[in-house]
Amino acid sequence: MERKIVGIVSGKGGVGKTSLTASLASLAQMDMKTQVIVMDCDVDAPNLAIILPALNEANIKKEDTYATRKAKFLEDQCINCKKCIDDHFCEFNALKWDDQNLIPIIDFLKCEGCGSCKVLCPEHAFEINTVKSGEIVSYKSKMGFPLIYGKTQLGSTTSGKLVSDVKEYLNDSKEFNNSNLILIDGPPGIGCPVIATVSNLDYVITISEPTPSGLHDLIRVIEVIQHFGIPFGLIINKSDLKSPFLEEFKAFITDTGYKKLGDIPFDLSIPKAMSYAEPVVQFAPDSKASIAIRNIYENLKKILWNSHY
Amino acid sequence: MNHKNPKIICITGGKGGTGKTLCAVNLAVMFKNEGNKVLLIDGDVENPNTYLLLNGKLENKKDVPFFKPKIIEDKCSKCGLCSQNCLSNALLHVKDAFPIPMLTLCSGCQLCYKICPENAIEADSKTIGWIYSTNVNGLSLLLGELKPSEARSAAIVEALLEKIEDIIEKEPNKFDIIILDTAPGAHCDVELLIADADIVIPITEPTKFGKLDLIRIMELIKLLGKESRVIVNRSSLLGFREQFLNELKRESIEILGDIPLDSDIVESYCQGTPIMEKNSKFNREGVGYIAFTKIYDNLKKWLEIPT
Repeated sequence: MERKIVGIVSGKGGVGKTSLTASLASLAQMDMKTQVIVMDCDVDAPNLAIILPALNEANIKKEDTYATRKAKFLEDQCINCKKCIDDHFCEFNALKWDDQNLIPIIDFLKCEGCGSCKVLCPEHAFEINTVKSGEIVSYKSKMGFPLIYGKTQLGSTTSGKLVSDVKEYLNDSKEFNNSNLILIDGPPGIGCPVIATVSNLDYVITISEPTPSGLHDLIRVIEVIQHFGIPFGLIINKSDLKSPFLEEFKAFITDTGYKKLGDIPFDLSIPKAMSYAEPVVQFAPDSKASIAIRNIYENLKKILWNSHY
Repeated sequence: MNHKNPKIICITGGKGGTGKTLCAVNLAVMFKNEGNKVLLIDGDVENPNTYLLLNGKLENKKDVPFFKPKIIEDKCSKCGLCSQNCLSNALLHVKDAFPIPMLTLCSGCQLCYKICPENAIEADSKTIGWIYSTNVNGLSLLLGELKPSEARSAAIVEALLEKIEDIIEKEPNKFDIIILDTAPGAHCDVELLIADADIVIPITEPTKFGKLDLIRIMELIKLLGKESRVIVNRSSLLGFREQFLNELKRESIEILGDIPLDSDIVESYCQGTPIMEKNSKFNREGVGYIAFTKIYDNLKKWLEIPT
């Protein structure tokens, strides 16, 4: 079967992306027809590894990434002319003036490493260096499939670039060549890391919950997915939530005609499974949630490989 | 209140969906109920939801512009200096051709515009999002929204921060309390808001994910040198409350309070009427209501505001 890369996003956070990814990974692993690789691109808060841990410590590979650039001030070169401040070298307001020492101070958090100060300073009192932006961790999981995730360095400003690096990692190793399904747990939101996650995917799964915020954020993330022209399907989590908003939410989905992959009813098996750090389809295979997720997995396969499956 | 500048409280949490917006909105409402002048800032610009929880309308829309290089072909000598100096690779230049701006890669640093020897690059702009300001039941709300498919969310947060700075400078007594609601995660949008606050309240939940993300955001808060106390939301989930609170204590994490699961909270959330609003229909003996009241009292003690 042709290789398919599938991302799971939601807009709103905390609606079940990671739990769903872990369960789909587990089902794909048990499925004789799929060879799965799992990735966590929620590089700000990567949690998938808790549910899908490594087979053993020895096979965990870690690699630092240096996608972030930051300016460095070279005091020896500075003639205290204050041009950097007066001529507003930095559009990110990362340069402040130290009135006591008559030198600029770089705000590390605000600095984007664009190089403006380096190029514009007549005394060459700035340089640009790459700094650690995070790490990429990869291993063979207990379940048997490879898992790859990224984790940002706190204070680095380039989550989106790290997401791209994690996705690139797939092409780096021959051991990944014979997989035919790549599942990517995405970040919340609609910004840079989400754009980096969904670009070039074959399919996107959106998961949401029937609350006003859930719907609002779903609509926004769909706008991004549609901007990139990627096919997608919806999942409603906690689909029987006692929400006065439930009917409105369902009507929206029906009216838009968006493809639905399935509903997952509210089921305490999900948080319970999580507290034991297991995918729910393994922890409670007969639960309402597990039945629903197996159904979603079958629907997904039909969409990805319709005639060939 | 007799302190001078407004107190700035940042609500954050690392993990998504733990109840950041719920807490930000209800704390803002409680301060307002006691006669404080409160400004609520929605800094989750990728998904701003405060107005939904308040049943408010988005008003006074203002564009947030972002730098866009415009090549003036009549002036351009095709020297390629702009492209050579653009570390974002946002100006594509092939020999003897005009440079082509790749807007999705552009950081907005304006270096190309500043260094072009022929003045052949103009500082044009595009809209990457909006800022709204509105008033809902006596609560001032300032909300940033990133335009879907745009990537530079931090520029919207910066625009919000500039607006706050401007308000404080021009009218230092306009507000007593400013509450910042952040995005999930620990990226630049969140950093910028935490860095601007006096105190930080991370919201978490008693799960493994909640704890892992909390520890990460606590590291960031420490890195930024801010004081923080945690709210544990959905604390009654699966009976993990005591165990979880003890785990946090062992990590020397200070706790502001906890909120048990409560159907009134779910209902208020879905209806857009904050449970703590003065005349809300919700039961004042309900577990959610009592929990918020306690948290508010603890917060006032922490801020040394007389009760």
